Amino acid sequence: MRWFKLNPIRLNPITRRRWTRFCSIKRGYYSMWVLGTLIALSLCAELLINHRALIVHYEGNLYFPTYGAVLSGKTFGLDYDYEVNYKALQKNFAENNNSNWVLLPPIPFDAYETDLVKDDYPPFAPSSQHWLGTDTTGRDIVARIVYGFRIAIAFSVVLMLFEYLIGITIGCLMGYWGGAFDLVFQRLIEIWSNIPTLYVIMIVASIVPPGFWTLLLIMIAFSWTNMTWYMRTASYRENSRDYVLAARAIGASGPRIIFRHILPNSISTVVTFIPFSVAAGVTALTALDYLGFGLPAPTPSWGELLKQGTDNLESPWIVTSVVVAMTLVLMLVTFIGEAIREAFDPKVFHTYE
Amino acid sequence: MSKTLHWLRSTLAHFNKGGDEQREWGISRNQIPPRLPLLKGGMVRALLCFVLTIFCGLQIAIADTPQLPPNLQWQTNDTDPIFADLHAKRGGRFRTYTMEFPSTLRIVGPDSNNQFTSFLQSNILSLVGRHPNTLNPIPELATSWAFDPDGKTIYFKLDHDARWSDGVPVTADDYLFTLEFMRSKFIVDPFSNDYYTNIIASVIKFDDYTIAVRGVTAKPDLELLFGLAISPTPRHFHKLNEHWVDDYNWRIEPNTGAYQISEIKKGKYIEFKRKADWWGNDKRFFQYRFNPDYLRIKLIRDLNMQYNYFAKGELDVADSDLFKIPRFWYKRAQGEPYEKGYIGKIQFYNDVPRVPFGMYLNEDDPLLADRNTRLGLAYAINFEKLIKTILRGDYDRLQNTSEGYGDYTNPNVRARPYDLEQADHYFKQAGWTKRGPDGIRIKDDQRLSVRVTYVSPEQTSYLVLLKEEAYKAGVELSLQQLDASTWGRQLGEKKHQIVWMGFGIGGLAPEYWQQYHSDNAHKPQTNNVTNTDNKAIDAKINAYRAATDKPSRVKLAHEIEQLLYEQGGFIPGYKKPFFREAFWRWIKLPPAYGTRISDSLFGTGAGAGGLFWIDEDEKAKVQKARILGEKFPPINILDETWRVKPQ
Repeated sequence: MRWFKLNPIRLNPITRRRWTRFCSIKRGYYSMWVLGTLIALSLCAELLINHRALIVHYEGNLYFPTYGAVLSGKTFGLDYDYEVNYKALQKNFAENNNSNWVLLPPIPFDAYETDLVKDDYPPFAPSSQHWLGTDTTGRDIVARIVYGFRIAIAFSVVLMLFEYLIGITIGCLMGYWGGAFDLVFQRLIEIWSNIPTLYVIMIVASIVPPGFWTLLLIMIAFSWTNMTWYMRTASYRENSRDYVLAARAIGASGPRIIFRHILPNSISTVVTFIPFSVAAGVTALTALDYLGFGLPAPTPSWGELLKQGTDNLESPWIVTSVVVAMTLVLMLVTFIGEAIREAFDPKVFHTYE
Repeated sequence: MSKTLHWLRSTLAHFNKGGDEQREWGISRNQIPPRLPLLKGGMVRALLCFVLTIFCGLQIAIADTPQLPPNLQWQTNDTDPIFADLHAKRGGRFRTYTMEFPSTLRIVGPDSNNQFTSFLQSNILSLVGRHPNTLNPIPELATSWAFDPDGKTIYFKLDHDARWSDGVPVTADDYLFTLEFMRSKFIVDPFSNDYYTNIIASVIKFDDYTIAVRGVTAKPDLELLFGLAISPTPRHFHKLNEHWVDDYNWRIEPNTGAYQISEIKKGKYIEFKRKADWWGNDKRFFQYRFNPDYLRIKLIRDLNMQYNYFAKGELDVADSDLFKIPRFWYKRAQGEPYEKGYIGKIQFYNDVPRVPFGMYLNEDDPLLADRNTRLGLAYAINFEKLIKTILRGDYDRLQNTSEGYGDYTNPNVRARPYDLEQADHYFKQAGWTKRGPDGIRIKDDQRLSVRVTYVSPEQTSYLVLLKEEAYKAGVELSLQQLDASTWGRQLGEKKHQIVWMGFGIGGLAPEYWQQYHSDNAHKPQTNNVTNTDNKAIDAKINAYRAATDKPSRVKLAHEIEQLLYEQGGFIPGYKKPFFREAFWRWIKLPPAYGTRISDSLFGTGAGAGGLFWIDEDEKAKVQKARILGEKFPPINILDETWRVKPQ
């Protein structure tokens, strides 16, 4: 809050009032901080959850393997050419009692690594090593959930950005221009939004195997329509207001009217939808992964974990972890959404009769 | 054949079509009589007989009625031991499941390759069968058979008792009709069209109960016999015309087996009823078999649900399809009902040709064209670890492309083990000397990354492990899971790099031509998925196909196997030498439990199925005990009678 007060000039009073209102709704406000922290942490997940060490001290040299190229076993005096096993290296250094040491991240497993135990078979139950256990291939569930979360959030944020870009542009133009353009697009959107997205994805998946971007493209292609209706209504409303008329009378150009007058005044509608769109994006990706039409294996994904969990109900830690994680994130997003909607509501008090 | 194998075979079936070159013999397709006018009853039959008489006359190119050659040595089999349980009781309703409700009841044509088809196929008998333990031929619809010295023709005497389920006798005309039917364009089934043209040359009728079937190529006796033992098709039932596919979707075709469909509840279940006066009841190899009065096949689409239904006692057995997934056997098939003996478990070893399952490398791919790269890859795939860890040691490593064919299998050809030094050696020879920043080998800015295509999501976890192990050798396996139709198309167009799959199997001797002869390389829709094109291999395969005596065929098969090993187009995966099943106590099995070639103890196929029976008294006892919590001695059977010890 303090941070915002340092630049009071840049925020107009309405926005400031909305912000204060948002902050006063504690549930939403704290949810925002929690979710923000989670996203920030997931962005640097490599430092927390990784099979690579943070720092290796070997023969007087320091190595920081996290983000760089692969360091082979030979780099550290071992006899193999492939990437060094840092956990084994740590043990090795400790046994030899020399000045070399390895600093591992708190969770020394990444999302792809299979950690198999002799004479036992995955999935392994939660233990001190794997806090939430492993999945059916022996991969750490914490790692899968965190990296899966990062991908899901990135997916839904990018999806939302493009969805809104297209939706707002077209919706705005429909409202501003009206007439034939409006009529044609209304019909087009009605038809377009009746195409079942899931089936399209299934059909496309049978032609080209979906990747992150293909999936995103399909989702964008079918979800931009939602936003157009709201924007169309909003810009129709603003367009008929006196100040727009006044702007037109003094000779303001179309783009100027749209960007300076209509958009800023109708943006509040859009903002309230953002958190729910993000939640919808996460859910959609999870659903697709669950059905097997999502991101290709072995990409860490909640949907795939959920599928494994429901298939292996006798290993309850899989399904529990992912369901709890998902509920938590969706709950946070919903709380934020609620608070934003409340903050943008022009009526501060409601009276019910 | 298990349902999986059936699926595999059917998935692959359509790749066969472009394989065989057209040959000239018998009757060509355009000679098939045109569509018959829609007349009723006797008129149609009379006309049909008339047309067919002309058509048979053309076909065998012999004037008037054909004569049986003199001095035929008629053989039969009434001496091999009966493999059914002499104490088996008839009756009861056997409840099992299917994962897929059929979209048609046809056994040929579009959509007929579904999982349910195997239940229909079970009741379609052939001329001769194979004794499941001695592997000798045994009578099914023919009582005896004789070989022609030309090595291509077999004569059959048909069983006079054989009846269709509607009571019509099965006669020579039904076999002639099979050929017409299977070659017809109207059935829209390229695979059958091809098989009955390029494998079966002609069917000759001598009288109503004597026929000859002629094959295209000469083969050793037994291989020829089982290849030519076709099934009859009820000619009085079918009207072949362009509407056949639609008209016959849900019509129940008369069959010759013990069961016929009696009730269909779409989307719920299909019930078969045993024929009360089945013609085969007293035949030596059919008696005491097919014991339940009813088979109810319930639709349960989900594996977990299947197991839950079974555990509640609403299904009688949980079969090998479920328990081939280790977690069901180790984690679910435990606990009270097993300890109290309500449910029994069996692990049964069999001795059958093993599915050549593993990685097929496309040699037309620029990256895999280099033999050294292929060999490097073979040493970089850690099947041993996969088997030991995720597969819980249940499987064995497959050693070559044709295991389980007895003498034909070359025991000296062993799969390349996981060996990083060897991998490094071969990769270096192929020029992959340096490693990039991500640990993957590079050559001229190209990464050593290969795509592995597969279908079953269950196998993702296997491939993830192999990927990680291969990474140590500096190879990246990028996994591409496709749905079955995309996968099929990619494979058909030979656009894959590495495909993770198994081929359908069967027969007495391995078949090499379809998969490894250059005739089938570099062209779409053939079974040569490796695009193997090697003159030395071609020559051996040609010799193998031409050879008619077993010793020389065996010798050639061994040589081909060795050459294929050196070619390195196939990385053998794993094989499962046994199957596991669980059953409620009231399901009884014969003393030997199963046979050498059983792939399930609860199948009802004509070959080795239908041996189990339902003990209604025991069922009442078990039901009562479940309420009272009483105990029985647990049933936990391990049968290794037919186990082939790993070499």
